[in-house]
Amino acid sequence: MSKPKSKKKISRRKFLKGTGTALAVATAAPRIQTQTPVETVPKTSIRVTINGAERRVDVEDRWTLVELLRDHLNLTGTKIGCDRGECGACTVLLDGRPVYSCSNLAVWADGRSVQTVEGLAQNGRLDPLQQAFIDHDAPQCGFCTSGQLMCAKGLLNRNAHPTADEVRAGMTGNLCRCAGYNHYVEAVLAASKGGAR
Amino acid sequence: MNVVGKPQPRIDALERVTGKATYTNDIHLDGMLYARILRSPHPHARIRRIDVSKALALPGVKTVLTNENCQIVFGAGGIAGGQQYNDEIKKITKQRRYVFNNPVRFVGEPVAAVAALNRHVAEEALRLIQVDYEELPFVLEPEDALKQDAVKIWPEGNLSLNQRNEAQPMTTRRGDVQEGFQASDLVFEDHYSTAFVHNAQMEPRSCVAHWEGDKLTLYTPTQGISNCRQDVARDLGMPQDKVQIICQYMGGGFGNKNQNQDADLITAMLAKQAGAPVKLEYTRKDDFIGVHGRWPTVQYYKVGVTRDGMLKAIQLRGYSGMGGYRKNTGAIGGIDIYQCPHIESVIYPVYTNKTVSGNFRGPEYPQGYYGIESMMDDVAYKMKMDPVDFILKNMTRKSRDEVPYTNYSLEECIRRGAETFEWKKRWRPQPGSDPGPVKRGAGVSFMAFRSALGRSNAVIRLDGRGMYTVFVGVTDIGAGAKTTMAIIAAEALGVPRSKIDVVWGDTDRCPYSVGESGSRTTIQTGYAVIQAAEALKRQISEKGLPVGDSVLVGSASPNPTLEGKVRAAFAAHFVEVEVDTELGHVRVTKYLAVHDSGRIMNPLTARSQIKGGALMAIGMALHEDLIYDRRNGQPLTAGFYGDRIITHRDAPEIEVIFIESDDGYGPYGAKSIGESSKVPAVAAVANAIFNAIGRRMKDLPITRDKILGALA
Repeated sequence: MSKPKSKKKISRRKFLKGTGTALAVATAAPRIQTQTPVETVPKTSIRVTINGAERRVDVEDRWTLVELLRDHLNLTGTKIGCDRGECGACTVLLDGRPVYSCSNLAVWADGRSVQTVEGLAQNGRLDPLQQAFIDHDAPQCGFCTSGQLMCAKGLLNRNAHPTADEVRAGMTGNLCRCAGYNHYVEAVLAASKGGAR
Repeated sequence: MNVVGKPQPRIDALERVTGKATYTNDIHLDGMLYARILRSPHPHARIRRIDVSKALALPGVKTVLTNENCQIVFGAGGIAGGQQYNDEIKKITKQRRYVFNNPVRFVGEPVAAVAALNRHVAEEALRLIQVDYEELPFVLEPEDALKQDAVKIWPEGNLSLNQRNEAQPMTTRRGDVQEGFQASDLVFEDHYSTAFVHNAQMEPRSCVAHWEGDKLTLYTPTQGISNCRQDVARDLGMPQDKVQIICQYMGGGFGNKNQNQDADLITAMLAKQAGAPVKLEYTRKDDFIGVHGRWPTVQYYKVGVTRDGMLKAIQLRGYSGMGGYRKNTGAIGGIDIYQCPHIESVIYPVYTNKTVSGNFRGPEYPQGYYGIESMMDDVAYKMKMDPVDFILKNMTRKSRDEVPYTNYSLEECIRRGAETFEWKKRWRPQPGSDPGPVKRGAGVSFMAFRSALGRSNAVIRLDGRGMYTVFVGVTDIGAGAKTTMAIIAAEALGVPRSKIDVVWGDTDRCPYSVGESGSRTTIQTGYAVIQAAEALKRQISEKGLPVGDSVLVGSASPNPTLEGKVRAAFAAHFVEVEVDTELGHVRVTKYLAVHDSGRIMNPLTARSQIKGGALMAIGMALHEDLIYDRRNGQPLTAGFYGDRIITHRDAPEIEVIFIESDDGYGPYGAKSIGESSKVPAVAAVANAIFNAIGRRMKDLPITRDKILGALA
């Protein structure tokens, strides 16, 4: 990591004064900036389409895509299971293809389209995959579920009617420690047979 | 039954598929700091000096904790004699674990913690903390640790002390094994060993702490909010009502998130010292080496049988590697599923300089069952008996040959399973007899798992709209506790499930519950829900339905007991594998799990649990292993990739049959489910591999290189 070029001094007193009042859980509207910058780190302004809406965001060059989504756009449906490209819990669609958002920098999303689990349901209607996941009890603890959904969505984008083996191969980068694998595969096959797309 | 027993989706399924379910790391508080932990890079070392001045000088760093400014006992992290930490034990134990210890006893032990304005600054600060270590000799294997010249990890030696501070193994005896061996026609001896495997739940540990005056609120993934509150209050010296634990959704745990963890105490202390809310996030590696996994074991068996295949004596001498601290008993379970007049079990829980061992789905059983069930399978083969016949002849019929079970279906599980699986067709009377380089074989294993009754609480409120709100202190580890409570409430109240709301996961709103451990939630809290529903119905019959703003409340705190009986869930697993003898690759080609878990509250979610436990066990049988470098004591496979948990591609279909029973206890006869399917599964896979290749695999995991080595 490069040395900070200049340091913005914030005293402990000043910091506490500014933050000590409202300690509620944030469930409100998305915010772009939640962390107080303490050093000048390289930033880039990017234009990115998130769940169909184009937006311009200033991102620190060191942010991963999942960091941007979770911490700065309040899209916490995408989970971090390992932060090093091993588990798939952070899977999102980048231009329609599944990627590990922990292993992509936010700046790389410039000019591209990102779809997260929050963007799956359309006009209040669940995606057939979401309904199938519910019906087949695919999620147990649910922590890998967003990633499984997005990977399955990407798979069905490429191959609308996969076989069970194709589903397993396509989703093998998405781990589930509850090992709900049987039900995930059943659910994806059921959704693909529904003829929804 | 109107609601119980009908397959139904979870009440929170929508939240889980839309990303709206709030897990601990999704909590954001305004002004929140981010925390990171510096961990020991050495397996055993004394800290001469820690210099945190450079870290504190980094702009954005708010506070740093080390053992110099934070001396808090982590009670649940180092229990005495395998017993839960209480005030009595806290007073007497000589082997006390602090949040930050000196010396450090394993790679990954916390040395310092930092809270800073963002996670990048916190990570930078860790690099600026200078620790002067005096490296000490280390020992990794439990049997080595008991040798005379082994380095002492604790001043009292490496055999963990019991509750009376005595260095004694855990010993159980029934009858007299020497007499049993004399009465035997044949005596067999062998040994088996098992690896450290990590819980590896998908959600890494995180915690958010904030203080309002002297009240602490902790958002933390815990399997038991009530126990977590009790532990945090005890360790921080606070009254329980000043601690609030909130856990709405959690990403699995499998025992890794029982009670409280040092992460909770560290986050609370960082927040207190910084005067701001703090979020601590573990990396995946932190989680692997900084919490706990299943204890590795070495098991020496001696078994005596008569010529007609009746067991006369079982002797076990076992060693369990507890890591630097003893977080659980280190027991090795399984012998008790055999009916045998003479039994002796002597288990040594031993300190090592590996990461700490603790609860993981059926804590002492999957590894113990692998040992005893492999041993018995081998005895059956050597006596030219079909293993199924050997089991039917020798399996438990009364608990420890004495106390009757509330119901007994083990024989039905085995017979039904053998028939459905077509055991006679799939099992090879001559192991390894398939011609080809790819050989098939079948294995069997069975189990009995405690389903004890116990205390819990529930409150149900009926309002003027006709909605019933059930308050229960459960969290939802993934097993579906909330849904199960709603199903039981609907059944007991005689209303549709849509009329039930469940409030859970918050100690300020919910009464005590035992938590999601020991497969007890449905039995204990489910029973309390029925009792609370009865109390509410009595109120309704006395006062009529509430109207307008009025409410009626029913509550119950039952503590049912069993007199002279034992409750157990039973199961038998049948597995067929295919082993490529040129590549050493094992593929599970058929898997059948037959379970009596009493009455099934929700077949949809119950099936998920049985399948998940069996699949997880296939991973334990075939690849999971936290491997250490013997030269330097470094863990080499801490992470999903290195540890190789099972993936979509490896996962076979698991067929599940429930043999439902109602023994008259628990909620509508429900017995335990969650841990049970993992218990016999590892042994069944190992036995199938033996049947396929004719070589007994005695060391977990059964990796390709070991198979090729055995065949060479």
